[in-house]
Amino acid sequence: MNKHFVLTAALFLQVLGISSAFAQHGMLGGTPMTFFVTSEPIADGGNLGGLEGADAHCQALAEDVGAGDHTWRAYLSTQERPGQPAINARDRIGTGPWYNFDGVMIARDVAHLHGDTLELARLGNNLTRVSGLTEKGLIVPGLYEFPHPRDGDWDYVKTTPNSNRHEVLTGSQPDGTAYPPEMDYTCDNWTSNADPEPSDQRIPLTGMPGKPNAQIGFPDRNGGGNGSWNSSHGTRGCSQHALVRTHGIGMYYCFATD
Amino acid sequence: MKKIVLLLVVTPLALATVLSTLWAQTPPLLPDSEDIPSSLMTFFVTSEPIGDGGNLGGLEGADAHCQALAAAVGQGEKDWRAYLSTQARPGQPAVNARDRIGAGPWRHAKAMIADYLGRRLARPLIKSQIHGDTLVEAQRGSNMIKAFAMTEHGEKINGIGDPLPIRHDILTGSHTDGRAFSDDVDRTCNNWTSNDEGSAQVGHSDRIGNGNTSWNSSHATVGCSQEDFANSGGVGLFYCFAVEK
Repeated sequence: MNKHFVLTAALFLQVLGISSAFAQHGMLGGTPMTFFVTSEPIADGGNLGGLEGADAHCQALAEDVGAGDHTWRAYLSTQERPGQPAINARDRIGTGPWYNFDGVMIARDVAHLHGDTLELARLGNNLTRVSGLTEKGLIVPGLYEFPHPRDGDWDYVKTTPNSNRHEVLTGSQPDGTAYPPEMDYTCDNWTSNADPEPSDQRIPLTGMPGKPNAQIGFPDRNGGGNGSWNSSHGTRGCSQHALVRTHGIGMYYCFATD
Repeated sequence: MKKIVLLLVVTPLALATVLSTLWAQTPPLLPDSEDIPSSLMTFFVTSEPIGDGGNLGGLEGADAHCQALAAAVGQGEKDWRAYLSTQARPGQPAVNARDRIGAGPWRHAKAMIADYLGRRLARPLIKSQIHGDTLVEAQRGSNMIKAFAMTEHGEKINGIGDPLPIRHDILTGSHTDGRAFSDDVDRTCNNWTSNDEGSAQVGHSDRIGNGNTSWNSSHATVGCSQEDFANSGGVGLFYCFAVEK
């Protein structure tokens, strides 16, 4: 037996921070999964059926892998409307800690997840390309991994599971709160699959008056000039095709609240 | 036998890591630029360590290593500085890594790279805001990312999910804000002169590991020898920046 080899492998695990969590989700004694990225989108662009539809999708995906005994919430904000206050994603997800499919801790609590202090924010949480797993335990293909000329085309992407799909809907600011109501950051509170008129490639990836738009982040922390997990930039529009053109497919984070 | 041992250890890690290793070997769509290195390069990660653990010959030795590596790729005209802090000693104030590297933004070694929309762009910048000086900057994070943190040859640094050995522990001796530590604990291998006792603060060039995503201050090494560095996923590489002469 090669001692060096074993040592290196052990080191590899240690670096991943899972030495205390060998057992997997689903294994007897394993740390229950309380965080995942949806493996599938609802696939109607930014129309998720509101927060209720988004939560139900989380719950259904979790049930499919035997994790339905938690209360699952989508990490999504909604913006203020007349007679309807804003909802902050950070207030929907319980108190943590949250663990991924492998039992790796994503964050200890809400403050750690969002970096509520300067020191926490500079260090960052533990949501990365290798820990931001789906409920099936798979990595979300990120930027630069399988680049292809058609990876902005939904017809190609939906049949190509390894295509880039790293942009995750949040509708949230970096601190996990909702945006003010003036401009759209939530595809009209997750009910719209509309695109800007006329469709314009040059529209900046941010909220603009009258422009359908959603704020996104990346589990692989790669892109947008910042690599934010929850608030990097906006989208081209709210149709499924517009999301794909910006390099997402309408997936989002799900957290167990209990 | 080796493979079996590795499999047994790694299996609980899930398919994910194995997959990512395969992915890392997939050739990129966009061809590498032919004119690497470009004369515009102002940032790189050392392709090789000095090789004597935490003994870099002080800041002078580390700067000289940056300068020599840069010169070997035709970039010796610039004034290169290692991104390293030293701690205060009697009669000798602390030196902050962030104060040694100019104001940025910085350009890495690759002339062309795909941006976040897949467009082929010339020299995406590493933005000046690498230290997260305001809360919102810190929460968003910097774009000092694995794809940009490359060597003077334009090669990536192996990180989590890449073939072993991993080299992602990058010596900094610095706090997350880029300043020297003010406590009495050794964070700099005795101001980069020790190759046995002590410890050095490191960041991760791939922003993965130890439960955080810090590029400059993720954790401390277990010692200062070359072997100690290897035990936590590094070989003693450090960041180099060009400053105005």
